[in-house]
Amino acid sequence: MSKRAFALPVLGQPAPVDHAAAAAVFNADVARTDWHDESLWFVREKRDRAAALVSDWEELRERASAIKEHALTHLDQYLTQFEANALENGMQVHWARDADEHNRIVHSILEGAGATRLVKSKSMLTEECGLNPYLQERGIDVVDSDLGERIVQFRNEGPSHIVMPAIHLTRGEVGETFHQHLGTPVGLDDPIALTRAAREHLRGKFLAADATLTGMNFAIAETGGFVVCTNEGNADLGMALAPIHIASVGIEKVIPRLEDLPVFLRLLARSGTGQAITSYTTHVHAPRDGQVLHVILVDNGRTKQLAREEFWGSLKCIRCGACMNTCPVYRRSGGHSYGSTVPGPIGSVLTPGLDLERYAALPFASTLCGSCTAVCPVKIDLDGQLFRWRQHVTERGYSSKSKGAAIKTSVMVFDRPRLFRAVGAIARVGLRLMPRALARIASGAWGRTREAPLPAHESFRSWYRRERMGRKG
Amino acid sequence: MTPPLTSSAARDDILRAVRAALPPAVDAPSTMYPRDEQGASKDELLVRFTHAAVATGAQVVVCDGDPALEAARLAADAREVLSLVPGVVSTIAAPSDPQSLTTLDLFICQAEIGVAENGALWFATSNPIHRAALYLAERVVIVIAANAIVADLHDAYRRINVRATSFGTFVAGPSKTADIEQALVIGAHGPKELTVIIREA
Repeated sequence: MSKRAFALPVLGQPAPVDHAAAAAVFNADVARTDWHDESLWFVREKRDRAAALVSDWEELRERASAIKEHALTHLDQYLTQFEANALENGMQVHWARDADEHNRIVHSILEGAGATRLVKSKSMLTEECGLNPYLQERGIDVVDSDLGERIVQFRNEGPSHIVMPAIHLTRGEVGETFHQHLGTPVGLDDPIALTRAAREHLRGKFLAADATLTGMNFAIAETGGFVVCTNEGNADLGMALAPIHIASVGIEKVIPRLEDLPVFLRLLARSGTGQAITSYTTHVHAPRDGQVLHVILVDNGRTKQLAREEFWGSLKCIRCGACMNTCPVYRRSGGHSYGSTVPGPIGSVLTPGLDLERYAALPFASTLCGSCTAVCPVKIDLDGQLFRWRQHVTERGYSSKSKGAAIKTSVMVFDRPRLFRAVGAIARVGLRLMPRALARIASGAWGRTREAPLPAHESFRSWYRRERMGRKG
Repeated sequence: MTPPLTSSAARDDILRAVRAALPPAVDAPSTMYPRDEQGASKDELLVRFTHAAVATGAQVVVCDGDPALEAARLAADAREVLSLVPGVVSTIAAPSDPQSLTTLDLFICQAEIGVAENGALWFATSNPIHRAALYLAERVVIVIAANAIVADLHDAYRRINVRATSFGTFVAGPSKTADIEQALVIGAHGPKELTVIIREA
């Protein structure tokens, strides 16, 4: 797959992601693949119904995109404005250049306060930073409180979707996991009963937490506050109970004004789950009495992406997950096959920016059908960016050797009309004589699930010469 | 002593990198989001709000008398009640720390604004006990005046002062999750029931 395919693995340097191979493993269970596909399409259809009920939907998308483009092209101003207002509101503000710096800041806040029990709500940023293992190695009890996140945490997996972290699991598997970790009865797989068991378990964690960590859906420069959206209320319980609140945020999440916020909120849940709004849309503008509130602004590769003329638009993303739900490749390969914190189309344009060689396969995990672009609430040209990443991958020589050789051979043949005619003549006869099984093998991955068509008896050129030129001449 | 948490070097480095990376400036959309010129009638907003709130999983009661009577009726079978609504008596004294609210059966409060397009209710407070009660109570009742219902979120934000309180939230239905096989379960971490009492003027 990659040019490193035959090199010895370097310690600490993970092997390149092979999406196609991981997808093949996922696809081996056909019934499960269909079930996964249908679950996500169901959410996509809910999104369509919700969007259709909003008469100004397209205007909202236009505006959301314009606001984000304005914010990102003035990001220094809005970051410093947010910082100044947040400080004035009584928050403490930290800056982290990369994942490691972010993790060190979180740990030093906890250590300084003698805090050992941390309850987190969903934050893809902390997944990206590898915060959980970092803190656990240092003796912190880290509990993910979103139900889906708790399920995958018990299973030692990462989330497979940014909004529905356990979408890849069946109720039976969740039941088994809860039996092991929460002592629920063997075979219990009723979602209500399982949710109640998790509620009881996590309620204790919320009440005992020394600190809580949340992400942010939006940071508002004008007011120095931020917004956290959840359906479960888990972020809210953490924030309302713990004496320390740490809110980590990627620097691209800052929006200029309060009046911009409703534009995004009207799009976010409708695009993500088909709800008009999440159960809780919580605004935090100051620490509550007796609480310390830390904000960590994290770069971790975002300024590099901002500098890329072709790709900075990907930073408009509000993490709704709509592009995943609609993507024919994501739906049939599962989130884990991407080997990236953020999977699906948006992950495949964001993650290659971190390490193009390692994630060279991701821009190819797409049919370029453009369905992602069509549903994106902030109008990121996802299929265009995927296509452009492919060109970078190929230019740097990270694409597969066989693919490169095939293209070079094609160029050589197409460049030479006589050779082209000769190859055509041989193929027309050869493909007819060749056993069909062999023809399928010769057509590569494409032929695995398709029958190669029989070639025509003659070339278009010879037909044209006979039928048209012959008549004239 | 807390050790120094971050160097200002990180701040300087990030801002420098941002400035070096900035794409060509794009202007902000200049005007406020256009208002619905027609303006829906109060009755229409009430109907839309009720439909939207029911879709969030809330129960809706429209009350043309004293909403306190309706709230008191809902509180009748609850043991521990914390009420911020005049006329409905709390059965417990507000504790000094939010962790003590774990056995709260019912929290009754008033919302400042209701949003017709999504059934959400704006509740804001700087009181840590009231904030926690909204999530720790088994059931929540929120009273909203019919004339405080606005068409959409743009309208709502024109009336909200988010900096006036440390905390404010749009509540839309009870706590819920669909994390296990997309099956909707009401009552994930927070309240298992939300009742909205609409007080007609």
